[in-house]
Amino acid sequence: MTLDLAFVHGPLWPYIMIILCGLLPTEVWRILGVAAARGVPEGSLFLVWVRAVSTALLAAVVAKLLLSPSGALALVPWWGRTGAIVIGFACFFAFRRSFFAGIVIGEAALIAAATWWGG
Amino acid sequence: MTPDDQPDGDDLQTPASTWVYRGARDALALPAWVVALSLVGVGGLAQSVGHPVWAAMMSTLVIWAGPAQVIFYGGIAAGMTPLAVAAAVGFSSVRFFPMTVAILPLLRRPGQGFWAQCAAAHFVAVTVWTENLRRLPGKPPPARLPYYYGFAAACILLSTLSTGAGYFLVGALPTPLAAGILFVSPIYFTLSISAGARVPADWLAIALGFALEPPMRALLGDGFDLLGVGLVGGTAAFLFGQMLEGRR
Repeated sequence: MTLDLAFVHGPLWPYIMIILCGLLPTEVWRILGVAAARGVPEGSLFLVWVRAVSTALLAAVVAKLLLSPSGALALVPWWGRTGAIVIGFACFFAFRRSFFAGIVIGEAALIAAATWWGG
Repeated sequence: MTPDDQPDGDDLQTPASTWVYRGARDALALPAWVVALSLVGVGGLAQSVGHPVWAAMMSTLVIWAGPAQVIFYGGIAAGMTPLAVAAAVGFSSVRFFPMTVAILPLLRRPGQGFWAQCAAAHFVAVTVWTENLRRLPGKPPPARLPYYYGFAAACILLSTLSTGAGYFLVGALPTPLAAGILFVSPIYFTLSISAGARVPADWLAIALGFALEPPMRALLGDGFDLLGVGLVGGTAAFLFGQMLEGRR
């Protein structure tokens, strides 16, 4: 059996990569979640635990994005990235849980840090 | 941000199409724009590895996970093998498992098959999940799935377009703005999970999630750190919450 490399690395390769290396490894968790949720009633204690695990996982994703950032974000010093999160978080509550205020002011802080201390 | 936290009135008479519209309308009030902005950067990454713009847009449509897409294109840029890219994307997406389990009881309908549920689960990602976990319980059960689909469709379609726009724009952006684009995901994730927090245990889960990531990464490495943080931090927060409940 010979592997047709012209096909594998041809114009369809980016799309094949997205299906095999992008869609499959993400969708498998969603499908497993559907299977695991079968028969679990709304409001059960198990769901309270699952939600706590999800929340901790999401916070960890943010910590990872902040501590090992990619691209242009990596040029901003770590305290600039963390500080902008804290400022956005504080403004979210200061403006009565306003996503708009939290995001705009947090972004302004990050862009300011990137302008003065980035690269 | 919360026009829909109040009941919409005439609930049980309202046709499904109206709920689809309301979901889309609420998404377009802000959340869809934020998630779309967070995926602009992915378009730039796809452009930098030489993928066509259609592939960049397709990645948003079918992967629908910002951090996974960043890892996907980052891995290709770093010359990782396809298998290593798939593994890294898989490890970064473990969160979808508990997230799907948590939201699915709200989306189930009588007579709905396994694959119909999987179709609904495809849209599970931070924005759609946090917003709907907060909004759906106040709606009548027949309204939840159409509302969710309207909300999710608005988010994913706008994001697919913004990924395409980012493909052409990001390279031309000055560095501080490019950094700002990549910062949308972390700041929005932070606010989303904070907005969903109701009881002390939720706040403990958030705090432990942040605090445990560096030590878990040192302990378990780049693949299993998120899973470790979720299980240890989430379980600790859950037990703490149960302890508080028991004392009442």
